[in-house]
Amino acid sequence: MATAYLTHQQKVLRLYKKSLRHLESWCIFRDKYRFYACMMRARFDDSKEEKDLMKASMMLKAGEEEFWTNQHPQPYIFPESPGGTSYERYECYKVPEWALDHWHPSEKAQYPDYFSKREQWKQLRMQSWDKEAKKNNFKKHNMQLQTSPMTSTCDVMENL
Amino acid sequence: MHPTSLMMTSSLIIIFALLIFPVLSTFTPTTKTPDWATTHVKTSIKLSFFISLLPLFIFLNEGAETIITSWTWMNTTCFDINLSLKFDQYSIIFTPIALYVTWSILEFASWYMHADPNMNRFFKYLLIFLISMLILVTANNMFQLFIGWEGVGIMSFLLIGWWSGRADANTAALQAVLYNRVGDIGLIFAMAWMATNLNSWEMQQIFIASKDFDLTFPLLGLILAATGKSAQFGLHPWLPAAMEGPTPVSALLHSSTMVVAGIFLLVRMSPLLENNQIALTTCLCLGALTTLFTATCALTQNDIKKIAAFSTSSQLGLMMVTIGLNQPHLAFLHICTHAFFKAMLFLCSGAIIHSLNDEQDIRKMGGLHHLTPFTSSCLTIGSLALTGTPFLAGFFSKDAIIEALNTSHLNAWALTLTLLATSFTAIYSLRVVFFVSMGHPRFNSLSPINENNKSLINPIKRLAWGSIIAGLILTSNMLPLKTPIMTMTPLLKLAALIVTVIGLLLALELASLTSKQHQTSPNLALHHFSNMLGFFPSIIHRFSPKINLMLGQLIANQLVDQTWLEKVGPKAITTFNLPLIITTSNSQQGLIKTYLAFFLLTITLAIILTMS
Repeated sequence: MATAYLTHQQKVLRLYKKSLRHLESWCIFRDKYRFYACMMRARFDDSKEEKDLMKASMMLKAGEEEFWTNQHPQPYIFPESPGGTSYERYECYKVPEWALDHWHPSEKAQYPDYFSKREQWKQLRMQSWDKEAKKNNFKKHNMQLQTSPMTSTCDVMENL
Repeated sequence: MHPTSLMMTSSLIIIFALLIFPVLSTFTPTTKTPDWATTHVKTSIKLSFFISLLPLFIFLNEGAETIITSWTWMNTTCFDINLSLKFDQYSIIFTPIALYVTWSILEFASWYMHADPNMNRFFKYLLIFLISMLILVTANNMFQLFIGWEGVGIMSFLLIGWWSGRADANTAALQAVLYNRVGDIGLIFAMAWMATNLNSWEMQQIFIASKDFDLTFPLLGLILAATGKSAQFGLHPWLPAAMEGPTPVSALLHSSTMVVAGIFLLVRMSPLLENNQIALTTCLCLGALTTLFTATCALTQNDIKKIAAFSTSSQLGLMMVTIGLNQPHLAFLHICTHAFFKAMLFLCSGAIIHSLNDEQDIRKMGGLHHLTPFTSSCLTIGSLALTGTPFLAGFFSKDAIIEALNTSHLNAWALTLTLLATSFTAIYSLRVVFFVSMGHPRFNSLSPINENNKSLINPIKRLAWGSIIAGLILTSNMLPLKTPIMTMTPLLKLAALIVTVIGLLLALELASLTSKQHQTSPNLALHHFSNMLGFFPSIIHRFSPKINLMLGQLIANQLVDQTWLEKVGPKAITTFNLPLIITTSNSQQGLIKTYLAFFLLTITLAIILTMS
C-alpha cells in the first residue's frame, strides 16, 4: 500500500535513476556514458551494505547535494513525458464522449451502425457500473465521491 | 495606359486576388474536401509565385516600379488614408521570394501535418499570414503597414498555439503577443508623431516633409518596433519560445518572413535613418549585442529547433548591424538570402523530427547521414550557406556586410562582437551537423525511416537550389545603392572567412572531445550561462513579476488594510482615547455612598445659598 512517505530504499533508487539520466544528458556518446554509469553504480554499490540508517541518510543527503550541483540545466526529457516537446500535444483533439450526443442528425447519419447501437451501450454501461465498482473495491476508498454519473447520492449511501 | 505599367499593376492585383480567394471560399457553408489544402491553397500560392515573376522580370529589365493607389479610404481635408500598394525594388524582389518559400513550406506541411484533423484550417491560417505579410511589404502608407504588422502578429499567436492543449504552447503564444505589443508601442508612437508633425502617413510625403525635423524620437520608436518584431536583445525571448508551434510555422513565420518585418520596416524607412546618427548608432550597438548574445545562447542548446531559432535571432542582429552601417540594401539582400537557407534548415529539421517520432533533442539523434542522406546533405548545405561559405547564398550578403563593417570608421566594439558571433555561427552549425548526421544512431530503431515522399523531397530540393544560387542571382541583378569600398587589406577582406574557419576548427576540436574521457567536473559557469539563455528569461519572466506582485501585496495588505483602514482610523482613535478612559476610570474609586452623600450635601448647600 502506498503512503505519503518514501522508504529509504525508494529514495536511494530515485537518486540513482535521476543521476543516471542526468549523466546521460551530459555524456552524449554511449560508450563514454556506459563508462561513467559503471563508475556511478560502483559508488552506489560500495555503500549499499551500510546498516546504520543515520549514516545512510547522511550519505543520501550528501548524494542529493552532489546531484544538485552537478545536474544538467536542460536534462533530456522524453518527448511524451511531462516537460517534453510533445507532451499534451493532442489534448485539444481529445473530445469527451458525451459530445457525440450533441452531433447534428446529419452528422450522426454518416455513422448509422454506431449510433443505432449507442443507446443500448449506454444502458449496458449503467447497469454494469455497480458490479464493476464493487469488484474493484471502489466504494471503500471513495466514500464521499459520487461513484457514477448516473446514480444519485441516495443509492450510494444505500449500498455502503 | 502603357503596357509595362498595365502588366505590373494587373499581375500584382491578380496575385492578391488569387491569395484571398481560398480564404473567402472558407466562409461559405459547403464542407471542404480533406485535400482542399493541397488542391486549393498550395495551388493558389504556386500560381501566385509564377505570376509574381512577371513584375520581377519587368523590373529587372526596365527598372519599372509602380505605386497603385486604388481606393481612397478615410480622407479628411488635411489627412488622407488610401489603400495604396507600393511595388518598388524591395517589394518586387521580396514577394516572389516569400511566395517561393511559402510554396515549398506548404508542400512540406502537407506531409508533416498529414495526420492532423484540422489541416485545412492550418493552411488557411498560413494563407492569411502570407496575405498580411504581403500587405506589410507592399504598403505605401503607415496605416496599411500597421494592418499587415498586426495581422502577422495575430497569425503568429494563432499558429504558435496551434496545439492549444499544451500549456507551454499557450504560454509561448502569449509571450509572442506580449513582446510584440511592447514593440507596437514604438510603432504607434512613430505613427502618431508622423501624423501630428508631418501631417501624413504616406511614405513619399513623409520622406519629403521630414527634411527639417529632428527625427530622433520617431526613429527610436521604429527601432523599438523592430526590436519587438525582429527579436532583438531585450525583446528576444519570444522567438525561441515560438518553436512550440509546428515546424512549418517555425519555418515560415519565425525564420523567413515575419521576423524580418521589423528589419524590413527599417529598410523602408532608411531615408529617414540616413542622417540621424543617434538612431544609426542605436541600431549598430543593439544589433551587435543581439547577434553575439543569441549566438552564445545557441552554442549549448540541445533542441534542434531552438538552435535554429537562436541562429535566426543572430542573423537578425546582423541585419540590424547592417542598418546601423547605413547599408539598407545589404540588409535587404541578407533578408532574401537568409529566407532560403533558414527555411531549408527548418524543413530538414522537421523531416528529421518527424522521422524520429517527434524527437527534437540532438543528443538522441545521430547517424542520419546513412538513413536520410538527402535531408542531411541539405542540412549541411544550409549550414554552410549560413556560415557564409564562399559562393553559396549566404556568402554574398554576409561577406558584403562584414566587409562594409570592417571598412567603416565606426566603433570597433560592434565589429569585434559581430566577428565573434560569426565564428560562433560556425561552431553551432557544425555542432548540429555533428550530432545529427555523423556518428552512430543514438535512438531506438522504432519506425522505418525513409525519405521516399515527393512532398518532402521536392520542397527541400527547391530551397536547396535557392540556397546555392540565390545569392549569385540577386547580387548580379540588384544594383547596390551605395558604392562598396573596393580596396582593403587582405586581412580585412578575408576576416569573415578566417573567423569562420577558426570557429569551425574549434568546433571540430570540441566535438572530438565529446567522445573522449575527460576530466569529470569542468568549470560549468559559462556552460550554464549559455544554456540558461543568459538567465534573461529567468530574471525577466520571474523576478520582475514577483517584485511587482509583492509590491502589490505590500500595498494592498500593509498600506491599505493595515495602515489606512486600521492604524490611522479605528486603532488611532483607540490609542488616543484609551489613556483618557483609563485615567478617568481609575480615578473613580467606586465609593457610591460617599459620592451620593457629597452630591446631596453640595446640592443642599447650593439650594440654601440661593434661597438666602
